[in-house]
Parts: sequence; structure tokens; C-alpha cells
Amino acid sequence: MTDPVILLQILWTGIAMSSYFVLFTVAFALTLKVEKLWNFAQAGLMGIAFYTMFWSLNAAHWPTWAGIVASVLLTIGVTIGMEIWAIDVLRRRHSSGLIFFIFTLIFSQFVAFLLTLLFGTEPETIFPSVMSPVRIVSGIAVSDWDLQAVGLTAALLIALYLLIRFTRDGQFMLAVADNEKLSEIYGISARRAYILSGVISALLIVAGIWLYGTRAGVTPDVPVDLILTAVIATLIGGLGRVFSAGMVAVGLALLQSFSILFIASKWQGLLLYGILFFALLVFPRGIPAWRPRRIQPAPKPAAPVQAEG
Amino acid sequence: MIEQLTRRLVLSAPAALWAGAAFAQQKEPFRFGALMPTTGPEAGYGLDFVKTYEMAVKDINDKGGVAGRPLEMIVLDTQAKPELAISGANKLIDVDKVAVVITAWSSVVKAVAPIANRTSVLELNMGANSPDIAHLGDYVYTVFPLAEVDVTALAKYTREKLGKSRAAVLYINNDTGIGGAKIYRDVFTAAGGQIVAFEAYDPKATDFTGVLLKARVGNPDVVHIHGLSELPQVIAQMRQLGMPQQITSYSAGYNPKLLAQLGAAAEGLIVTSLAPTAGTNPNVAKLLDLWKQVGRAPNGLPYLQYAWDSTVVVADLFAWVDKNKLPVTGENMRKALLEIKTFDLPMTGKLVVTNDHRVDKPVYLYVVKNGQFTLLDTIA
Repeated sequence: MTDPVILLQILWTGIAMSSYFVLFTVAFALTLKVEKLWNFAQAGLMGIAFYTMFWSLNAAHWPTWAGIVASVLLTIGVTIGMEIWAIDVLRRRHSSGLIFFIFTLIFSQFVAFLLTLLFGTEPETIFPSVMSPVRIVSGIAVSDWDLQAVGLTAALLIALYLLIRFTRDGQFMLAVADNEKLSEIYGISARRAYILSGVISALLIVAGIWLYGTRAGVTPDVPVDLILTAVIATLIGGLGRVFSAGMVAVGLALLQSFSILFIASKWQGLLLYGILFFALLVFPRGIPAWRPRRIQPAPKPAAPVQAEG
Repeated sequence: MIEQLTRRLVLSAPAALWAGAAFAQQKEPFRFGALMPTTGPEAGYGLDFVKTYEMAVKDINDKGGVAGRPLEMIVLDTQAKPELAISGANKLIDVDKVAVVITAWSSVVKAVAPIANRTSVLELNMGANSPDIAHLGDYVYTVFPLAEVDVTALAKYTREKLGKSRAAVLYINNDTGIGGAKIYRDVFTAAGGQIVAFEAYDPKATDFTGVLLKARVGNPDVVHIHGLSELPQVIAQMRQLGMPQQITSYSAGYNPKLLAQLGAAAEGLIVTSLAPTAGTNPNVAKLLDLWKQVGRAPNGLPYLQYAWDSTVVVADLFAWVDKNKLPVTGENMRKALLEIKTFDLPMTGKLVVTNDHRVDKPVYLYVVKNGQFTLLDTIA
């Protein structure tokens, strides 16, 4: 198992597999940063996004692009609807954080039950086939799915970075995340920032569930498991650090993949929760971000103190 | 005169049947319980089992029921989870007062067993194959062959007929996977083969690269995968990692959906089945006709054959108890099972219940050829 080709294969597959975890994590962390909302409703959005694509392609026999567009529109629509008619209402009522948390959790469970009634509980994939063409590159199997996953994730993260860094709306989102009241004094609409972060999260969720659903079977309760990984990565990455959370998601996926070298594969799932347990105890505010140390000016010599007496 | 009589008989036969059926409906039904996963990841099989039970119950009732009384089934959902199975079993026994409960999925059968033994209610397994089921107590019997039957036949065939000498065994980390994988390992080793990898994976896993690479390192010439609904993903990832080895699996792999999900990657896959096909048993063709009315191909046809037959077994037990004028209790149902012993069943043929809580059946090996399951061999 220490053959470099095997190690590189585990590395590559681990990176490819981490793609949907990264997208779900960034979506979760972004909402948490801007809206200060532990949005477990995103599990429900994952279910809506997946089953819209599944129905469009397999029952309505629409072309792939139409299925994706339908999924994007419906997921964004539900996100905006939830923001306007639920989250905003709770916000105006000055509801406690616990109420927000319970609401989002109930929403995702409601969606899971609804999807169960509509689609049953048999594992489904977006396309009937789960096979993807493969090429061998220096002894490493690289599938089209791997390339699509890594490429799509990288493109979306770069786009998000550019949006936050170089657009007014992106800057406004950061300002609202920093201080909502102060931002509004300066004429920035917090509501617009919330909706924008929700729409971006919805897009990331659709992309993530597309990648997941073209590789593995989805049942209505699968998204709840997926959101847990996003929560763990967000907690370890540090609250409010969106891209750090994404990096942690990659790290967790790689740790799980490489753990096969040291532990039996049946323990891999447990590893994730072990890490969360450890991280919550040791880094309750996430792993501290690395910053270059500032060179402090040399302290002035203290004035001599006259001894009394 | 003869023509008139013939016509009268022809006309009166369905009327008598209808009258008998109607008569049966008026009497107190014989009730039995079924604990099946009608939701959750295993519902694909579970719902089709239940549908088949309904077909079998309807067939029996349409023919006049059991000793003139209708047969009635009470189904409760387990999601294939032991904790739900326990509460379901308690409800069936304490509230619905059933004397016999049909179960499937090894962890469910095991979870219900202590309740069945404690309350003296007969538990009949119709689809689980963990070898442990033979040792679960006096009130737990199986009408479905346990893993010893098909996995033993498969491991021997792989070693002796196919000449494979190095096997990797990958299995889902639950009762079904652990039990089946151990049997494959022991039989293959006893036949002179070598197990080069023996790896379990998490039931919720979606990435199997690690276990597959561990198997690849051992350089096997056959890979036996003992999984459930994730089986297509494991095979897909194995082929995508460039592993060309012969793959074998057990009866869970005998599923048309697997062929659709894997396409050409399924070619050469060998799976087992424990029931005859429509080509050799016309009753199976009738079952498939009933499924055509549902509008789709059923999942796991051989299991459905056992689902139908387990309903017939239950009906026979009620008939025996009724004939002997005994009260319908778990004790008497068990007594009926051991007295009747040999059942001639419509879908899977002769069934002999032995004192060691096992049943023996022929094993049908299928290979995927040109996108279809093709009979490879029959091991009696």
C-alpha cells in the first residue's frame, strides 16, 4: 500500500471525492457568515435540487441542460421564498437562534418526508448509469467524473472569490456579515445581501448534488448525512472563514481516504465524528488562522525609578 | 343435455368460486404479520416483497381462503433497522395478536428472535441469509436458504470449476455482509484457495477506492463482493480503477437495475439465485404476468418467489391448525411447521424444514452476458 502510484491514486480520488463536500461546506459556511444562520434547511435544498434533476431527466425525459436549469430555478426559488416568508419573519420577530435552528431542521425533515412520498426511498442516480469513462495517467485512473468534479468545484470557488473580492455586491455581503446595523446606516441593504448569499449557496448546492448524484445513489435522507460533513468542516475551519471551511472539507476527505493505510476501512466513517469530537474540545472556535507575525517596535527604555527614602 | 350440463358447470364454476371467496370474506380472518422495509434504502426490495405478499394473499383468498376463512396480512415498516423491527414485532404480537411473523434482513431477523422465543410466536425468515439464523432459538425458522447454501456453492465453483486461486473478499459491514463473507473465505480456503484481502466497508460509504486498492495490492484473480444496494457503485469504481478481475456476488446481485447502472461494466459478473426461472417453472411466468400489471420489472425476482411461497407456507400452517381444531397460537403454528415438514411450493419447489433450522435448495449460477443474466450452471 505504500507504492507511490497507490498513494497518488488515493490522493487524486480523495480530492475528486471531496468536491461535493467542499461545495456543500462553502454553501453552509457562506450562509453562516453573512446571515449568522446555521442553515440546516440546506439539506432540504439538496433534496429538492437532486429530485428536480432526477425527475426532469428520467420521468419527463428533458435534455440534461433543461434538467439542470429547472433544478437551479426551483432551488433558488425555494431559497428566496424561505428567506422572504420564513427567515425574514423570524428575524423581524427577534426570534432566538434556537428557533432559527429548529425551523431549518424541521424544513429539511419536511422536505425529506415529502420527497419520500413523491419518489419513494430507493437509491436513485441522476443518470441510469453510474459509469464514467476512465483514462490511465502515469498509472493513475482518472475518470471523466473526477475531472468534471475538480474542474466545476475550482471554477465555482474562483467565481465566488472574484465576486466577493471585486464586486460591490460581494463587498456589501462582507460588510453585512461584519456588522449588519452599521452597513444599513451606510445604505447597504442587508436583505439584498442575505438573498444574494442564499442564491449563491443554492447554486453551490445544485452543483454539489449534481456531482454526488452522478456518482452514488441518493435517497431522501442522504442530504442530512451530507450536511453533517459540511457542519463539521465549518466548525473546524473556523466560523466566518468560508474558504478555510472548504479547505478543511478537502482535508477531511483526504484524511478519510488515507486512513485506509492505517485502519480498517469499516472505521473510516467513524473517523469523521472522532475528529469533530476532538476539534470541538480543542478548537471550539475552529483551527486558528495563520497570520504573519508583525515586527513589534522595540520598547522604549523605562525611566529609572527613584527609590524612595 | 350434456351440452347444457357443460355450460352450467362452466357458468357455475366462477360463480361458486366467487361465492366461496365472498363466504371467506365474511369469516374471521387468519392474520399474520410481516416486518419489511417499506421506507429507507432497502425499500426497493421491501416494497416489492410486500406487493408480492399482497398478490399471494389475494390469490389464496380468491380461491376460497384457508379452510373457508380469509387470510389477512399486517405489514409494519422496519427500514431494515433492528430498533424499528423490535417495536414492530411487539406491536404485531401484543396488539394484533398474530401467531406468526414473517421477517427478512439478517439484522431484523436477529432482533426479532428474542421476542419470538419469549412470546412463543413463530418467526419465519423469508429472505435473510446470515448463517446465524439457524441458531436463533426454537421459534425462529427459515424458508429461505441461508448463506451456507449459495455462498458455499459459489466459492467452491469459483475455486474448482473456474480454477481461481487468489480471492479478495469485500463486504458490507453488517450481519449480511459479515456472515456471507466469512463463509466465502472459509470455503474458498478449505478448497485450496488463498484469500489475499478481506475488507469490510461502511454501509454509508460512497467511495470504495481504499478497499479496492487494498484488494488490488493482493493481486487477486477473483473479487467476491458481498454487498447490498451499494453493489453497483463498488463494481463501477472497481472497473474505473482498471481492475479487470472476475467479480462474483450472491443473490443480491441478481437485479435488473444493476445491469442498467453498470452497462458493459457488468459483463462477466457471476451471481447466485436460489429459485427457478420462468423458463423452468410456469408459475413464475404467472407471477411475472402479475408484475406486468404493476407496470415495471420487479426487484430481486428470486426473493419475490420466496415471498410468495412463504405466504403459502403460512396458509398451510393455518390450515393444519384449523384441521386439527387447535387454537391459533405460536406454539401450534410451530407444531404445524414441524408436523408438515415438507411443503410443495408453487414458486420455488419442494421445501423440507429440518430440525437444524435450515433448508436446502438448488443453487442457480448466472453470468452477465450481452447485458442479460444467463444461466451458467445449476448446483443441486
